[in-house]
Amino acid sequence: MKRFLRMSYLAASIGGVMFFAMSVVLLGVWPGRTLDHDIHAMSPPHPMDLTASEQHGRTIYSREGCAYCHTEQIRYIESDTRRFGAATLAWETRFDYPHLWGTRRIGPDLSREGAVRSNDWQLTHLYQPREVVADSVMPAYDWLFDGAPDRPKQDALDVLAYLETLGRNRALAGAEGDAHARAACDCSEDEKRFGFSKPLNASPAMAQRGPVPALTISNDLAPGRAVYASNCASCHEGSAPGLRPKPANLAAHQYTMAALSDALWNGRAGTSMPAWRDLSLADLSAVAAAVREKSQPQTDSIADQLGERIYKSNCAQCHGERGAGDGSAASQFTIAPVNFVQQRASLEYAQNAIKNGIDGSPMAAWKTRLTDEEIAAVARYVRAFYQP
Amino acid sequence: MIQPEAEVNPAPLVATRLVQAHGIAAILTLFVSILFGFVAALELAAPDVAGGSPLLSWGRLRYDHTQGILFGWLGNAFLAFLYHAVPLISGRRVTSERLGYWIFGLWNFAVVLPGWALVLAGFSQPLEWAEFPLVIDAFVILALILAAVQFLPPFFADGLEDLYVSGWYIIGALVFTLFAYPMGNLVPELVPGAIGAAFSGLWIHDAVGLFVTPLALAIAYFVIPAATGRPIYSHFLSMLGFWLLFFLYPLNGTHHYVFSVIPMSAQIGAITASTLLGFDVILVVANLLLSARGSGWFPRDPGLRFVTTGTVLYLVVSIQGSLQAQMAINRSVHFSDWVIGHSHLAMLGFATFTVAGGLIHAWQRIPGVRYNAPMLDLAYWLLLGGLLVMFVDLTIAGLVEAHLWNSAAPWIDSVRAARPYWLVRALTFLPISLGFMALFGGLTTDLPTEEAA
Repeated sequence: MKRFLRMSYLAASIGGVMFFAMSVVLLGVWPGRTLDHDIHAMSPPHPMDLTASEQHGRTIYSREGCAYCHTEQIRYIESDTRRFGAATLAWETRFDYPHLWGTRRIGPDLSREGAVRSNDWQLTHLYQPREVVADSVMPAYDWLFDGAPDRPKQDALDVLAYLETLGRNRALAGAEGDAHARAACDCSEDEKRFGFSKPLNASPAMAQRGPVPALTISNDLAPGRAVYASNCASCHEGSAPGLRPKPANLAAHQYTMAALSDALWNGRAGTSMPAWRDLSLADLSAVAAAVREKSQPQTDSIADQLGERIYKSNCAQCHGERGAGDGSAASQFTIAPVNFVQQRASLEYAQNAIKNGIDGSPMAAWKTRLTDEEIAAVARYVRAFYQP
Repeated sequence: MIQPEAEVNPAPLVATRLVQAHGIAAILTLFVSILFGFVAALELAAPDVAGGSPLLSWGRLRYDHTQGILFGWLGNAFLAFLYHAVPLISGRRVTSERLGYWIFGLWNFAVVLPGWALVLAGFSQPLEWAEFPLVIDAFVILALILAAVQFLPPFFADGLEDLYVSGWYIIGALVFTLFAYPMGNLVPELVPGAIGAAFSGLWIHDAVGLFVTPLALAIAYFVIPAATGRPIYSHFLSMLGFWLLFFLYPLNGTHHYVFSVIPMSAQIGAITASTLLGFDVILVVANLLLSARGSGWFPRDPGLRFVTTGTVLYLVVSIQGSLQAQMAINRSVHFSDWVIGHSHLAMLGFATFTVAGGLIHAWQRIPGVRYNAPMLDLAYWLLLGGLLVMFVDLTIAGLVEAHLWNSAAPWIDSVRAARPYWLVRALTFLPISLGFMALFGGLTTDLPTEEAA
């Protein structure tokens, strides 16, 4: 009897070890083999590994627990792909040692963060998130800076470099890479739908150019003021010292509804102004009304011949003959030249901008080449383009 | 019922000084761990409260909070309990009291304290339940090996013929943690992203399923009969529950990554195992609660009451776990505060209540030790109240977040909506910390003399 018991305990112990081994094989080794196969079959031929700087940024990202609030994993379901883009493929994670998938999302998923924001925005956000996102609860990582968001230490630049790698390989692989991966993928229709048939990056904040839905002017200003306070004020009212070019001084400008629709819907490429496509059209209309409320009543300017002569010889190449921001050189700039037909600065602001240029944009300072009188004439000239 | 003040079972086999050392270390590290948790919770309600110090930034505190709970509080309390229970179950002393002090030193001064310090200094790994850096893992593994050397030989000395179920759980936990720990800590560093995540999923569940749960159940199976003086309801059920548990728990891992790129068959397998696990827990809990019958719904003995409450919470949290592994529910609540509520129900509810009960039970039986039952009653109510408020609060927060994520609302709306709930959660630190202070007081003060007389 005793021997029988001993034998059965021996059998049970072996069984116990087998149970554990089975779990490792079934949920670790075997799916790992499948994933390993998928990674090699679906990956584009030469994906980019991380540079030393990017790798160091990843180390900082890891040690600060970023992955405990920001997942790097877009799931194969509608609510994830609609918000963040096509679901994460195994090969996209091939340089992740260890993975940073995360199991909690307090902030948004960052799998495709690379292309979404400007560097200034990322650095300012890292330095003090609430300078650009009023209600953010992200910690401030100001010890990665020398006292100001525009004075990052190497650590902050490395984190920025790492953020810019997120989604990079898949974006570089492009449609061709996705087609290759799709053909090599031994997966269900559902997986194909979420993995491939969605925009790669669905971030509503990514600046882009394209058609704009018409916003309606509302007379009720209260809702717009609320939307403005929680989404816009942190940059446009605050100091936001790290952002170049500086966020627009809304009080010193008049905007047509078309200009506001475009800025809100598409963002301003090359600047820190994101697109606001996650706000409803009603909210966008309301906030446009709130912005127009801020513009002080502007006086008209009369164009004269001096202004015309200087404009045509110095400014029209970028800003266009008729001031619509469509000069022959306009397309070579990431930041589009100002369209004077749709927005009008105050005379003082315009003179200042011509004199000193706009820091962080292609707009140069003209004070060494034009006299004060000439600058005043050009300022009056560009203001006259405005068509409310 | 056992009268705590009576000199019951002086237990000459028990190394009581090690029970006391680990017991005190457990509660002291618990205070530090919940302080980490509290400041992290507060930072969600008031993000700039810590004033931009890297040492107090959310991520590092979050790492130290859970690692402190796992190694400091639960680890020490488990060890304290093992020093009490293993000799009583096996009838033999543990291998060596000297070795015990080595394990105590390793566990606290080579794992918990330097682990915390290194995480705060920026050396860690971003893997759940594995945040301490790799250098600490070497000491964890060494300590686990020494713990196996310390506690396993007494069981094997006379053969396993009459081994009680708690002994089985203890053997299982010590052996399988030793297997699972290196896997969860090392493999994701060595294999790329998605493959590493598959192994992380295994370890996330093994930490709970092969370390915390078996040792907590060993306590429950030990304390309930010892405190009620009645045998366990069914030894057959207890063995069935044990084997099903060790079969099913490790197979749950992938349920942390449902709808991910990990092959669907592994996900389905894990979800199936998660469902079946719910049934196993019903069986285990039924067996335990039937064993506690006769002591009433609400046992007077504080140790027993903590344990039976922990057992009930085990049932609740496991059924919740089975449910939230289902795709229809997981799709919405995954990534949300719902899961944080779940993990607190598991760790602060099931594990902490059971472990506190085990500690109290072992403490009562140390000759001449200080012990204050009314203080422990106070601890019980403060902890239960704090836990329930936190659980309900986080569950609602999770549902609100899930609802907003499913809508077209901007992401930041879900953060705004969660903030009042985060504030309430941070405030639950008050009853919970007072509760743990009362627990500490209950084990370090005596009753006022006129009552004790």
